[in-house]
Order: sequence, then structure tokens, then C-alpha cells
Amino acid sequence: MIENNCENNGENNGDSNNISKNNISKNNCDDNSDSTNIRVGVYVCHCGGNISDVICVKKVAEGLANYPNVAISKEYVFMCSDAGQKLIIEDITSGKINRVVVAACSPALHELTFRKALQRAGLNPFLYEHVNIREQASWVHKKEPEAATQKAILLTRAGIEKIRRQEGLENIRVGANKHAIVIGGGPAGMRSAISLADRGLQVSLVESGNKLGGRLLEIDTVYPTNEKAEDILETLKTDIRARKNIGVYLNNEIANISGFVGNFQATLKNGETIAAGAVVMATGNKSYEPFEGEFGYRTQDNVVTMPEFHGILCNIRNNTSTNKDFIHNGKHIQSIAFIHCVGSRQQAETHQPQADGKLNEYCSRICCSTTLQAVNEVKKHFPNVKVFDVYRDIRTYARFTEDGLYEKASKNGTLFFRYTEEQLPTVQGKNITVKDVLTWNEEVTFEAELIVLATGIVPNNITNIVEKLKLPIGADRFLSEAHPKLRPVEVANTGVYLAGTCQAPMDLVESCVGAAAASSKAAIVLGKDHIELDPYVAFVKPEKCDGCQKCLPECSYVGAIFMNKDGKAEVNPALCKGCGACVAVCPQRALDLKGWSLEQIEAMVDAIAEA
Amino acid sequence: MNAPVNTNASVNANATSNPKADVLIIGAGIAGLQASLDLADQNRQVILVERNPSIGGRMINLSKVYPTLDCASCITTPRMASASHHPNINALTYSEVKNVEKHGTGFRVTVVKKPRYIDEDKCIGCKRCEEACPVFVKDEFEHNFGAKKAISIPFTNAIPQLPVLDINNCTLCGACANACPTDCINYTQQPVETVYEVGAILVSTGYQLTPANAKPQYGGDKFTNVLTALQGERLLAPHGPFGRVLRPSDGKIPDNIAFIQCAGSRDQSIGLPYCSRVCCMYAIKQAMLLSGSLPTADITIYYMDIRAFGKGYEQFYQNAKAMGIHFVKAKVARIKETEDKNLMLRIERQEDQSQPEEVQHDMVVLSLGLKPDWNPEAINLNVHTEYDGFVKSPKAPLQPNITTMEGIFAAGAATGPKDIVDTIGEACAGAMEIENHLRRMEWRLS
Repeated sequence: MIENNCENNGENNGDSNNISKNNISKNNCDDNSDSTNIRVGVYVCHCGGNISDVICVKKVAEGLANYPNVAISKEYVFMCSDAGQKLIIEDITSGKINRVVVAACSPALHELTFRKALQRAGLNPFLYEHVNIREQASWVHKKEPEAATQKAILLTRAGIEKIRRQEGLENIRVGANKHAIVIGGGPAGMRSAISLADRGLQVSLVESGNKLGGRLLEIDTVYPTNEKAEDILETLKTDIRARKNIGVYLNNEIANISGFVGNFQATLKNGETIAAGAVVMATGNKSYEPFEGEFGYRTQDNVVTMPEFHGILCNIRNNTSTNKDFIHNGKHIQSIAFIHCVGSRQQAETHQPQADGKLNEYCSRICCSTTLQAVNEVKKHFPNVKVFDVYRDIRTYARFTEDGLYEKASKNGTLFFRYTEEQLPTVQGKNITVKDVLTWNEEVTFEAELIVLATGIVPNNITNIVEKLKLPIGADRFLSEAHPKLRPVEVANTGVYLAGTCQAPMDLVESCVGAAAASSKAAIVLGKDHIELDPYVAFVKPEKCDGCQKCLPECSYVGAIFMNKDGKAEVNPALCKGCGACVAVCPQRALDLKGWSLEQIEAMVDAIAEA
Repeated sequence: MNAPVNTNASVNANATSNPKADVLIIGAGIAGLQASLDLADQNRQVILVERNPSIGGRMINLSKVYPTLDCASCITTPRMASASHHPNINALTYSEVKNVEKHGTGFRVTVVKKPRYIDEDKCIGCKRCEEACPVFVKDEFEHNFGAKKAISIPFTNAIPQLPVLDINNCTLCGACANACPTDCINYTQQPVETVYEVGAILVSTGYQLTPANAKPQYGGDKFTNVLTALQGERLLAPHGPFGRVLRPSDGKIPDNIAFIQCAGSRDQSIGLPYCSRVCCMYAIKQAMLLSGSLPTADITIYYMDIRAFGKGYEQFYQNAKAMGIHFVKAKVARIKETEDKNLMLRIERQEDQSQPEEVQHDMVVLSLGLKPDWNPEAINLNVHTEYDGFVKSPKAPLQPNITTMEGIFAAGAATGPKDIVDTIGEACAGAMEIENHLRRMEWRLS
């Protein structure tokens, strides 16, 4: 029973019951002249208690110790830690193993960590398989520890079956076009363009409007420094003008864009084409547009949004003859109310869904400070105007806003009312009714001649680019980063970086930080001589391909698979994303995927199913 | 017998053979780690100076991190490992920056390496010394929950895996020296000063919590069952001191726990007027984790405003409410300890009936605020701070990493309270500013 035809690994006494014998002997003979050379190291991680609180990791490690080709099977508390990685490296360098399986968290977290460890030990990094026994076992089967342990064993067996059929792979190397496209000419886009240009990269800054500045153009001063927005803008513009390697495209848009890291091609609305190595998304945000009748918006002329209020304030202050009084629509305004969280922090019970059926559940981050800054401006210039502030939570978190804005507003006579999501304020003409938490939940009604809605922010409509580049969008409709802490300004598609509010609500400082971070990541990639891409791509076995072309319509990536002059299918590895759609339809099995071959997947399924 | 082994010992500041690097980073928390990796990936030589015996900063001390609830170790340890293995990064742990002076377009930085009382080249991290040592001291990594040996590796996944001998508590019994298989214990080791020449400096010195007794009426330093926020983190950490959640006074499993928000922030009376940004979210996270380990426990968060402003944070807050965590808008006036070590909170609700009332809990966590952990003005860097004590960012809206001194940059909580996501973003931005500065200065390692 031990003598299976897995060519008898001397170091292991494998239990042959669970292996599909034919596959193993055949494959191993194909890929490696001698399968006895395959020595797999299996490492089972406790992940603190994330795994070991549910799964008996010892049982998993012991249960796999005698599996064919397994030379070592261990458990350890944090495999990703330095000490954990060292275990693997030592086992490799001492010659005990030449394939590695780690059963731990999701590969999204640490597959790369371990591949790098293999590399440091001098082993091809693709002779590594990451088995997820946290998200796929311990977390989802908390109440069934035994079954979860069994499942972990099966999943790890599948991982072993896969890796024993794995050959070393090399990353695909492509050249990089030392040119970046920055989409969006707001502060984030401008900051990105400047930073990238300083790296010696050619930059194309594309803005759909007729001038640079984005939403900075809408406002008078920025919080908390009270600097003039136009001064900040002038600094940015001067910096851009001073850099010869920034090309600015106004009144223009991306009509078409395709390609991959190092090699993007964009066509602008005006027909011009740009070839670039990286794309920085700085597409920004717009103010939430209240629906008709939301707090009286568009059904009453005394209700305005925050950007509209900024316009009113600017007009009054620019008119030096009458700027002592707050006059709007010919009327002397004596009282102004601000209502917070309009279009933000929405909940199913109380809020009407948006046109797409979704609620804006998120906090827009900037509206509290923006509102309090406006409140203080009104109080400073028109001290006789009564100001009411109707809020849920005051979120003046940014530096100098708690003490600079909120503190000031609390002392300048502004009256605060606090509502909860259970009962929204109502607006009837001048009358605002709030169930005010601060006065024992009493219903309070007061009059305000002008009502300002502190509207939240929503991402700009960039459907065209999102579809062309297949960018990930979150439930909040903003672009999604690959991981908020590990890859905060990158998306899953390499070569595309997120700068500023296309990703989430942010204030000016945060947008500029995001922009610098995004351009740093882009510059690091473009600064190298070559860009390395994952080797998991489809390939054609020409002797099997009969030219039926069934694969062509399945491919979602332009140019990734095509018919060559011999009438056979051919893959462009730089464009192929390794999705496997072509492999699935090929009637001749002439197509296969590097690192995810049909044989590997069949063996993995067998390892699980035959148990 | 074991003379301090250090080849740099004789290097003096005027010698031309000072070791050189492109950038020196002060503080190897998550900001310093991120910035050093980004710079090293662009072929910059980085010296990463860390005051503590291990890199990893505050983050490695946390349980799980919001809003994804990833375990903090899972995000931090790989960064720590990458930095310590990177050929372009030289991590100097248990070392402090003593002096900085301008030198050409760059700086001369004096770094003092504190004695671990072991020969680091010979130590193999086997922990035999730790096993042999008969002296127990308080374990700072566990915030004094539990004890460790007077010679010990600071924590499980510390990098480097080298023990530090606590010379103040060591009885010089010789047990460790006898147990050491490589003969590396050196009771007479001395600090070693080295001068480095670098092109730019990043201050990423992070934060410390406001003191537990900042508001003495909360009894943070007197009552055993009143915990600081970081003690709360350790209690919930996968590798915490007790291995499960229990209250420190008697090991009882708590079932009525309170969090007091703004216990060290937004309070003029203690000289901390600003919002510390992270306390609402870490309290909600700890409450969620507690409710996971103790499903029947009552958990209450007393707050002023819930500031869940980051990406996905508001949704995280709403989930906590849906899980049954009580959010009470109230100010806590004082805490008294009862005979059985429970805690009597005098609170004033700011909603419903606004009368003072007394509420009993069996454990309380103080959501303390964040203060700067290092004052750059102490060493005459010409890096100024603001009235809040954090580094001044004179070009704040557009380039917040820039300080008052050209060539010195700042990132992370050094420029004000910041959560991990914002800190990492700012560290990436800092790496950008530094690289561009070095290019402008045409800095070259020669």
C-alpha cells in the first residue's frame, strides 16, 4: 500500500489511498525527470489564534506528514513573521525541501511574502503554494472545529497536489514607457503631475473642464488655515508651468484607454493619442445633489447646498458697497441654518435610496469642518445674523479643526441642535423642526430665512474609464484600493494608481498626501528598467490547436489572444490576465494556463473528492 | 572578558570615513517601515533608527485593526521582515539619535547604540538565557500585565530576535552567562556612538498615549480594573497576557464593560484641546472584539461625538450598533471603585434625561488620546513643533511632509494623531518628497 507509483520518495512513506496514481506518475515524469526529487515542505500557521482557536493545527501538520512527497510538515504560531519565514528558508537551504506549501490566511495577504522568502533561499518563487485555511476554514466553521480541521487537511492536500505538479516559472518582463497620464486636473491631479515630473517622467495632465483647479475653484478659503483657495491654486499652477515635461490638456477627456502596466494607450476626445507606462486616477468628486424636496431643496427658494452657499458668500463679499449686510435674492437675511449629513451617513430606515437604489452609507469626512468654517465666516462678517447648526456628530477630526473651528463656533453664539438617524429634521418654509437630543429629545421648531444643506461628496462619473480599464468599484461607488493598509493607493490592476477623492472622501491635505503616495508608487514602477508581470498566463500547444477560433470571442482583453500566420492561436503574455476563459472553451485542450494547469486543477479536485 | 565588540567605536565625527547613506529615518513604526521600503525600492540606502529593541512600533502591539479586523501582526510582521531583509535598509535597533548637524547639502547624525549586554554577532536567539534568568520584571510590551525575565527577547515576533538585559534589575547572578551556548553575555557593555552622513532625514517618531492619570477623577492609575486603551489591545490580542479576556483584579470574566471616550482628548482642562482621531474607532473595534469573545457581556461606549470618518468607518460603527453595543452620549464625571473592585461611574447623559446618575461596570477602558512621542526641538534639529507638540507642517495643505528645516521631513503620527491607513499614506508621500529632494540636491553617495 505504501508502494504507490509515485516513484517512492525515499524520505516519505506516503499513504497512497488518496492519490490519483496515474496522474502523479505521469505528470511528474513530464515535468521533472524524477519525482523523487520533489520534496514538499508543509507549514501550518496558527495565525495568532485566528486559525488555531478553531482548527487543531497540530493534527493538520501531523496528518500531512506522511503524504506523498511531503518531506517536512510543521506548525508555527506566525508563519509570516521573520522567525516563521526563517523556518522555511533553513529547510530549503539545508536541502530538505524544494517545494513549499503554507496553510495560513488568504493568499491576497501573504502569498507574496512567502514567495519572497523562497527567493531569498535561492528557490524559484513559484514553487510555492498558499492554502487558505483561515477565511476558508477556521473563520467560516467556528462552531465545527473537527470538521474545520478535516477541511484544512483536505485543502492543504489539494495544495500539495498542485505544487508537486508545478514547475518553476519566470516573471514576464516588459519595457516601461517613461510617461504617466494623470486623469483629472484638481489639486490631487496637479500635485501628482508635479511630483511625477520631478522624477524626470513625461506627464500628460488631462482635465475635462476649461481650467485647472477642480473643486478648489468653488471655494473661497480652505480650512483650517483660511488660506485663499486661489493662492493655493496659483502655487500649483506656477509649479506646473515651471515644468517643461508636463503637458496640460484642458477641455479634454479620455475617449479610449487600454493596455497594461508600462504600456497604456489612451485616445483623447480631440483624437490625440498618448502612450504611457502608468495611469494616475485623480478624477475627484462632486457635491451630492439632493433630490427634489429633500429638506425643501428646489421646492423652496430659501434652501441651498453648501457649494451654492459658497457662491452666495463670495458674491456678497465681492460687492464692496453692500457687503456689510447679508443680502440674498434682495432680502436681508437675519438667520441661517445649516443641516449636516445631507447625502451622507444614510440608513435604510430613514433615508430615501439614490437613483441606483443604493444609500450613501459613508461619512463624507469634510462637511463638518466645511460647515463650521462657513458658520464662523458668517459670524465674523455678519455678527448680527443668527446661526443654527443642526448636526448628528461633529467630526472635526483634522489637525486644528477641533480647536480652530468647532471651539470657535461654540463660543460665537452659534446654536447647536443634534438629531439622530431615527428622526431627520423637517423643513417647512422657514420653519425647521428638530427632535433635539441636547434638550431631552424635545421637538424644537425655529425659523431660519436661509437654509444651507451640508451636502456630502460623491465620486465623479467615470464609467467610461472604469469600463475600459476594468477598475474595481466599491459599494460606496468610489474606486477600490487593493488593500487599505498593504496597498492603499494601488488597485488590483497594476499600473493604475489612486490619487485623492476618486478613492474616498478626503480634505485638501489628505488628497495631496494621496496624490504624492500614488505618484511615488507610479514612479517606483516606471523608474525600473523592466516591469515584471505575473507569469500566470495562457499558452498554446500549437501541435494540438486546430485553428477553430472558439477561444477568440471568450477573451476579454483586447489583443491578448489572436490567430497567427500559421492559423494557430497565439497568446500575448503581456496582455493576458490569466483568467482561463480561453482554456475552458478549447475543444482540443490546446490551451493551458501556466501555474494553474488543467492537470493541476484536476489533481486538486481529486485530492479533495477522493478523501 | 567579552569586550564590547564594535568596529565603529573609534569613529569620530571629523573623520572622513563616516558611514554614509541616502536617508536616515527616525522611528521604525509602520510609518518608518513603509517609507524605508519605498525608498529602498528606489535604490536609496536607508538607515532606520529605532529606540526600542525591536522594529514594528505601536502597530505590532495592537490586537486587530479596523475596519477590516485583520490581525495587526498579519499586516506588520511582513513589513518588518521585508525591511530587515532589504539589502538597502540598515535597521539600527535599540539606538537613539543624539545629535544632528547640517553638513554640506545633507546632515551628520550621531546615533547612540544602547547596550543590550550581549554580543549581537554571537547571539543565536536561543532564549536559554531567558529560561535561566531567575529575576522577573514587569513586561512593558504587555503594558505591565504579566512579567518577563530580566533578560529576554522583547516579544514573540520581535525583529531582531535578540534579548535585552535589564541592567537595573539584574542581580548579576551569572545564570544567563552560564546558560549561553555562544558565550555572548557581556555585563560591561557600553553605549556606542556612530556618526552617519546622510542626504535627508525622515521624522516618523509616532505617538504615545496620554497618561492614564491625566484625568485623576477616572482613577486610571489607581483602579486595577480601569484599563488604558493599549492594555485593552493586549487583553484582546491573539497572544495577549492571559490568553483570553478577563479583568485584572481577580481574573473574573467581565460582563459589563464601559469605554470612556475623549478620556485624554478634546479637553482644555488637561491641555489637550485637539481630537486624537483614532479613539472612537479603536473603542468600537475593541467593543466588537469583546462582544465576539464574550457574547453575553454588556458593552457601553460613553461618547461626545462618534467620529467614524474614514473609508468604511461609518459602516463599521453602524455594524457595532447592530451588534448590540450601547452608545451613550454622556460625559463621565468621575469613577469610584467599589469593595468588590467594580467601578461606579458618575455620568451625565446628554440625551434623554439630563440628570447625573451612577452606573456600575465591572471593567472600564479609558480611550486615551495621542501625544507626540518625541520632541525634535530637544536635539536642535531646527524642526519646529506647533502648540499641540506635534511637528509643524508649514506647507500643510499641499506638502504636509515638509518641516521647518530643509531636508528634514516628517510622516505619520509625528505630525499629529493619525490612524494606520492615513499614516501609511503619509509615509508613501514622505518617500516621494525625500526622493525629489535628493534629486534636487543632486545628492550622490560617493
